[in-house]
Amino acid sequence: MRRSEVTRPYELSVAAAARAIRARELSPVELLESVLGRIEEVEPRLGAYTAVMAEPARRSALTAEREAAEGRFRGPLHGIPVALKDLIDVAGTATTASSRVRAGHRAQSDSAVAARLAAAGAVLVGKTHTHEFAYGLTTPQTANAWDGGRVAGGSSGGSAVAVAAGAAPFALGTDTGGSIRVPAALNGVVGLKPTYGLVPRHGVTSLSWSLDHVGPLTRTVEDAALVLPALTGHDPGEPASLAPGGAGGHLDERGTDLTGLRVGVPLNYYFDRVEAEVEDAVRRAVERLADLGARPVEVEIPMTRYVQATQWGLMVPEATAYHERTLRTVPDRYADDVRILLEAGELMPAGDYLRAQRAQTLMRQAWIRLFDEVDVIVAPTVPAVAVPAGQETLAWPDGTVESVSDAYVRLSAPANITGVPSLSVPVGHDRAGLPIGMQLLGRPLAEAELLRVGLAYERSVPVRALAPVL
Amino acid sequence: MTTYSPTSPPGVASVPVPDLAPVEAARWAQRAGLPLPGDRHAIVAATANHIHSVVSVLRELDFGDTPPAPAYRAEEEKHDAQI
Repeated sequence: MRRSEVTRPYELSVAAAARAIRARELSPVELLESVLGRIEEVEPRLGAYTAVMAEPARRSALTAEREAAEGRFRGPLHGIPVALKDLIDVAGTATTASSRVRAGHRAQSDSAVAARLAAAGAVLVGKTHTHEFAYGLTTPQTANAWDGGRVAGGSSGGSAVAVAAGAAPFALGTDTGGSIRVPAALNGVVGLKPTYGLVPRHGVTSLSWSLDHVGPLTRTVEDAALVLPALTGHDPGEPASLAPGGAGGHLDERGTDLTGLRVGVPLNYYFDRVEAEVEDAVRRAVERLADLGARPVEVEIPMTRYVQATQWGLMVPEATAYHERTLRTVPDRYADDVRILLEAGELMPAGDYLRAQRAQTLMRQAWIRLFDEVDVIVAPTVPAVAVPAGQETLAWPDGTVESVSDAYVRLSAPANITGVPSLSVPVGHDRAGLPIGMQLLGRPLAEAELLRVGLAYERSVPVRALAPVL
Repeated sequence: MTTYSPTSPPGVASVPVPDLAPVEAARWAQRAGLPLPGDRHAIVAATANHIHSVVSVLRELDFGDTPPAPAYRAEEEKHDAQI
């Protein structure tokens, strides 16, 4: 693609930038400087980054440029700037976890994903804010890219906002109960939580070993399909890592004709207590998929009564275990909301934890059977758009009141418990202009299928613009 | 194949469990190796009680022979998967 006069490099998708770099129409140095300029422009309003690494990034971009000049290209991420959620180790730099607990931290070595991105030629431009230690859904340090008075979502809020605003072409996040997909949905970008174990977590600060995933945030589905293959592959250093050859991120060879695809539309749970405009946007997207040849099939989601109990029964004691030492030595350095959850986690009996682990087994089995009936399931990513900063609850028409965190996790958590992949795709905006996300869920290792469906949808709707950064 | 039952075994989930009082929460935390300052007893008790109310719904399930699922391989359901 030739760059038009009005398109600045930071506005390019990964795919478009990669094509321009490959064609020697754009240098990695030029792209990086454009992104750094954009960061300088919007960062005062957004607060997406914990650290911008301009000089190391310039050296990496120069290396990528020299290699390109010699005709050596490492792949589609060659010379593409990337931001990493600040839970992801990069040798010699702080992994702050957006927490005072990590004051003075220096990572000894690269995380598996940082090393893989570097090997793929990506240029690390900086680290992005997380809700402290990923234990929350708002990321209070960061403003929503579409409305500075609203939450970024979390916990990978900095990554989602940076990508939405053009301050990073793509980013990585982590997802324990929705922390990639929630901020992706609330900021109008694409977020992929891969199958459990597909992307190695070695060198990534844990929230909950049973539920943690690492994955990309991008502006387009096509970009997610380019990034994922650079991240996957067996890591012998991690017990949960999947074996080589288990899956790839490449787009399914059947292309974007969805004829015969069975799209599961949940009869229960996923459309309960959902804002009307969110539901309408997702149902319109289902109609769009049907126009592309897919066949909607109503499905009953199993064991929904036990989703929150299983999520909490796994996450609460595991998070407390991870923080055992620092909760005793420097408790005052945690933010209040995180400290109290870590302390209360000490009081959960082993019996509750084991019941959650056994419920996880049952839920996985029930969901696997669900995919005998359908190929993908379509649902809202979150039941509401981004709420104003400081708002703590949502009131639903049925009279119930729910905490914002519980609401944002509610529709995302099943994919964390079951390990199935989930791709969040923007499907429009509400009347106030706030983004709405749809998630596509598939059987384990069905990333290619999800990306194919997401791409088909994406190509059937107008190209999305960057967030206005208001 | 393991199945689950959404019905409560008699006397398991139907018996209301009294909340932990602040002083009890402090003792539990102490036994777990986390001495709590006095000003945190009440808030930790309230949070622990809320967590308990959420998690205790799992007692309704009849797990039979179901094993726990720590760090599983998502691909193992496919018997022809590459290892």
